[in-house]
Amino acid sequence: MDMNFVTNLILASVRMATPLIFVSLAELYSQRAGLTNIGLEGLATIGSLVGFMVSLLTDSPMLGVLAGMMAGIIVNMIFAYATISLCAEQIVYGMAINIFAPALAAFIYRIYFGSGSSLVQVRLMNTLAATLGITPTNFFSKLLLDQTFMVYFAYALVIFTAIYFNKTKSGLNFKAVGEYPKAAATLGINVIRTKYLASVICGALAGMGGAYLTACYTTTYVDGNIAGRGFIALAAVIFGRWSASGVLLACLFFGFCDALQIRLQVASFGLPYQFFQMIPYVATVVVLALIGMKKAGPKSCGKPYRKEER
Amino acid sequence: MKKVFALVLSLVMVLALAAPAFAADKTYKVAMICDSSISDGGWGAACYNAMIDAAAINGWETAYSDSIDQAAYYDTIVSYCDLGYDLIYAPGNQYTDAVLQAAEEFPEIAFALLNGGANTPEKAVNKNVTSLLPNAQQIGWIAGALAGLMTETGTIAFIGGMELDTTKGKYAGYAEAAAFVGQKAGKTVKTLDIVYSNSFSASDKGIEFAKAMIDQGADVFFGDASAVDSGARQAIDAANQAAGAIKIYDIAQPADILGQNECIICSQVTDNSSLVSLSMQAVMNGTFGGEVIYGTLQNGALSAGRISDLVPAEIQEQYKAYLDEMIAGTFMQ
Repeated sequence: MDMNFVTNLILASVRMATPLIFVSLAELYSQRAGLTNIGLEGLATIGSLVGFMVSLLTDSPMLGVLAGMMAGIIVNMIFAYATISLCAEQIVYGMAINIFAPALAAFIYRIYFGSGSSLVQVRLMNTLAATLGITPTNFFSKLLLDQTFMVYFAYALVIFTAIYFNKTKSGLNFKAVGEYPKAAATLGINVIRTKYLASVICGALAGMGGAYLTACYTTTYVDGNIAGRGFIALAAVIFGRWSASGVLLACLFFGFCDALQIRLQVASFGLPYQFFQMIPYVATVVVLALIGMKKAGPKSCGKPYRKEER
Repeated sequence: MKKVFALVLSLVMVLALAAPAFAADKTYKVAMICDSSISDGGWGAACYNAMIDAAAINGWETAYSDSIDQAAYYDTIVSYCDLGYDLIYAPGNQYTDAVLQAAEEFPEIAFALLNGGANTPEKAVNKNVTSLLPNAQQIGWIAGALAGLMTETGTIAFIGGMELDTTKGKYAGYAEAAAFVGQKAGKTVKTLDIVYSNSFSASDKGIEFAKAMIDQGADVFFGDASAVDSGARQAIDAANQAAGAIKIYDIAQPADILGQNECIICSQVTDNSSLVSLSMQAVMNGTFGGEVIYGTLQNGALSAGRISDLVPAEIQEQYKAYLDEMIAGTFMQ
């Protein structure tokens, strides 16, 4: 195992972790307001398709990402209305989004592109190095400069989220809604508005995570391209103990494990490929067992908030 | 009353006699199920086009369901059976169990399993399953011979979608042909171990696999992983762009898609439409089932597509000579 293997593994981990960071932060904002949204897979899927189509139509990956965000928000409003205003079961509606949104994406794709079998490809967002006209040659220049704007934005968002939840009054109010909404309401916090705001942020970030895939990572859209990232993001939030820094570490860990299994398969140590493919799952089980479950999530997660209920 | 009854009876008899004439006008229907997308620029697209082409030749109606999960194979097939489709076209070995189960429950419907096992038709209780079996070893040879000639680093790569017998057969043919051709050209050609993405739609995995394999020195790629192959080509194009020259190549399959990506130097072409068309004709003639229809270089179902200008003329000549040997059955003898 040479240095080249290690540096390329780190670069691959960063690439693979970025969409997870967006989707995991989406869930973090949602759960911090007491909404367990398991519909991330669906939200990311619709964001991915809309991002792809808008990138194709406008030749602007940035507009694609913005459109993916909007699509995520719109679809997540179904979840928000049902669970916040109608107090419906969050898990059921999250699952409904997971079934509905990919089907909607497949339907839109077929309507727009017809039954044609030609591969449609879009232009990807430029990296900072390409924008500056620099050719990254060493590990650090590749790590720091050979990334799209979305990668920098993802890490900036983690820092912002950490500060927002821990150092600002608004962020503490936001967390209070997720812990004990009735107490928060007695302090004058508008619980319903906070939950809707969380849903808007959740939809936007999950849609952005999906759009990242088709605007910054792969040039094509294929049904199923989210490939379980919505569910991995759910695990990342628990793994990260509902904190922004923890979620970042969890996403980097999942990205690292996935990148590692790919590189170990290629390096070939004479072992069956299934051994390498189970690395991310075994690692998750081991780390969760080591961390333990001392800190549970926001107390009101999954519970409907009824304003007049005693 | 008796007269009316007699009249109705007579009409029924006349209509019954005329039934074969109506049946002759019957529009046959074929439905394809696929776990990858029909617009994946690879396997799904080629199989879908094969059905469309065969249907156009034989005057059949078509339908398809793509990007379906493994858990939905059987239910999707049964849905088409319930709708009265005459032929279910399942392009992949992975559908075998679902097809055999549905074939037992719908004896009047024909099932064509592309890349099905040689013994799969025997397993069908109602003898209504036919395997369309392109020769996986020859597919590998077609790509491997060109890879062996074109590699400069002496390292070539193969990306598999799922661990299927046909995929392993293609890999084996690819590796042995490349090694043989390389040896003839005075170089040692090593094929990296086969890798599996465990998916046909994860194009991002294709990117990461290709990057990792390029790091290992691979300079010619072949694959059997649908959209994952598209991702690999994206990574190869990016690596070539960064190097300022096209030095890493891809051989596509199973349709001729030269020009889709800069790195594609040739395609291994499988004329699935001829195999599907034979199935349709067997259904129309009432002779369908219980057989294996092989696709080989010899019967024209397998071939090499157009060759890119990136392949020097001298190598093109050598490659064509090897293809002639494959057709003649003397390759590697």
